Amino acid sequence: MSTPDLELHLVGFSHRTAPVAVRERFAVRGNDLAGCHASIATIEGVREAFVLSTCNRTEALVAAPRGADPTRELVSRLFRNIDPEHLYVHSGVDAVIHLFRVAAGLDSMVLGESEVLSQVKRSHDTARSSGVLGKTLGPLVHHAIALGKRVRKETAIGEGTLSVARVGVDVAARVFGSFERCRATVLGAGETGVLVARYLKEGGIRELTFLNRTEQRAHEVAQQFGARSAGLDDLAAQLARTDVVICAIDGEGHVVDRDVLSTRDIDRRDRPYLVIDLSVPRAVDPRVADIANVLLYDLDDLGRVVQTNLSQRKDALEDSNRMLVAELHKFFSLRTYQTFTPAIAALHERFERVRDEVLDQIAGDTATPEQLRLAHELAKRLLDVSLGQMKESARYTQSESVLESEYRRYLENL
Amino acid sequence: MNSAQLYQALSVLLPPLYLVAAALHGMAFGGDRAPQVKGLRTWTLHVAVLLHALTFGIADRALGAFPINDAWTTLSATALFVALFYDLIAVRTKHPGTGGVVLSVVFLLQLAATAMESFDLTRTNEGYDAFRILHIATIVLAASAVVLSGIHGALYLVLFRKMRAKEFGPLFSHLPDLSLLARMTRQAALSGFIGLTIGLNVGIGLAHADKIEGFSYTQPSVILTIAIWLHFGVIAFSRYIKGFTARRASWAAATGLIALLLTVVLTFIPHFAFHSVR
Repeated sequence: MSTPDLELHLVGFSHRTAPVAVRERFAVRGNDLAGCHASIATIEGVREAFVLSTCNRTEALVAAPRGADPTRELVSRLFRNIDPEHLYVHSGVDAVIHLFRVAAGLDSMVLGESEVLSQVKRSHDTARSSGVLGKTLGPLVHHAIALGKRVRKETAIGEGTLSVARVGVDVAARVFGSFERCRATVLGAGETGVLVARYLKEGGIRELTFLNRTEQRAHEVAQQFGARSAGLDDLAAQLARTDVVICAIDGEGHVVDRDVLSTRDIDRRDRPYLVIDLSVPRAVDPRVADIANVLLYDLDDLGRVVQTNLSQRKDALEDSNRMLVAELHKFFSLRTYQTFTPAIAALHERFERVRDEVLDQIAGDTATPEQLRLAHELAKRLLDVSLGQMKESARYTQSESVLESEYRRYLENL
Repeated sequence: MNSAQLYQALSVLLPPLYLVAAALHGMAFGGDRAPQVKGLRTWTLHVAVLLHALTFGIADRALGAFPINDAWTTLSATALFVALFYDLIAVRTKHPGTGGVVLSVVFLLQLAATAMESFDLTRTNEGYDAFRILHIATIVLAASAVVLSGIHGALYLVLFRKMRAKEFGPLFSHLPDLSLLARMTRQAALSGFIGLTIGLNVGIGLAHADKIEGFSYTQPSVILTIAIWLHFGVIAFSRYIKGFTARRASWAAATGLIALLLTVVLTFIPHFAFHSVR
């Protein structure tokens, strides 16, 4: 993107470039997001910053003066010692395209999922309250959010499976068929945990239990679903009496490790013991999968499930891509038009001065109300014509076909 | 066209018809990219089953007696009942996922039966009284159920392994869920067990009553038959046996199917044979 003095740089990783084991190491938790924004804003040359960290990506977008390249320092602050293979770096138009794709859910593991849009909104709010969003990134993120809403409203991209929570529950259905004879435990009472619970309830789950670090929160959420609740102290006992465990819990370290599960009990169960880990960092020790009757899936595994469904949404994807290019064009036109602001103000002032001068020359102090109205209206109309012409010029500064080629090139490089 | 010619024509038509039905059901694994043949798939199987039943009807009429009278008509009858049971299951569950495999087995059974059958409708079975017919019918029904149990058990194991290996391909997407496969394995095993219980008892009674030459409880084929009866009995009630998981029941059903095929061979080859059926 080209603004008079600032240029965009984006650095990060996502499920496309980094496995969950890497993503969980560098994820920025909700509580740390404001601090992270503040830290990045102190990097030399960085004027504005926006950090997005979800279970599937962590990335920083900054605006810096032309010629300055803060990416090395960004990597050092956010992704110290990461294998560079896992990172992507975008600048200019590519950075805008990337942000738009993320907000539209086109870069998500589950195509068109809606959770990422909420996460972009939350990051936008945090960045704004931290004072690190300015005239460049502010409108850009705002436009990305608007595009995200439009894509989901006007295309079929989000129809059907809408989130990893939905995919997780669908996988559970491939094991148990109906949930009517099934007991489920949801670890974590956050947004994803609630979403999982909703899908399980829709599936007719027989018994649902919430476990959470804060028992009170688990209790509140459980009440919404007519479910049971407990704290993590009851973990082992609860895991022994459930058929499916879905983890969506924040925090370091494995909450469910091999020792918590009774291997003998699980191996003697009629049905497989299903564990779905939607947490980043992962809450389930990967060695749990070594137990013979256990089926364990993490976010990367669910991503593979999603891939099998992608081809079915080809048309919706094309619609979304077309919409994204149109919005890119609109955004760049607006940005270019905004660079005309000082010129517009000067033009406005000049039109008024000329109008007053002409009025003085013709009528002096004896101008009738009719003459005054005529002069004002004429000046206003002429100004509108001039501004309209400027808008048209802005529109053609970066044509839609050029942006479409840029977008195709971006997709080819993915 | 006389009855013998019609019987022969239909018998020759059945294997390709089952093959087409298997292929149409197999297309379900192609998902949305495959041609949508739901109606054609269902009707091809209905027609195949009806024509197969008609074949036996023609034989029954021409012979004036029970038409299952040798190893190959027994095999053909087994194929018919496997197809019929599957058709009923497909109508009930509306799930085409296992049809490709089940009907491929039906095709192979019927191909062998058609290839080896004499198409001789002049033989009579005057000695086939009600008990003998009951024996044959229940054994054929039981064998069909056991074939279905074994196939569904094998498919359970395939899907379970795919899910353990995190391979989410067409098998993951289009086979029935693990729970349904396990249920079909056990329910078919229970049907097979009931059929075998009746069939074997009637058969043993007939062997004693008719003093069939060469019949002995120590014959490998008899021992294997009783072992299969016990084997599928355990599978049928495995839900109530602690530690006999769906996965283990599926293993047992799949291996039981192999044992059944071995028993069929042992029962009908001359050295071990004790049946009057040849």
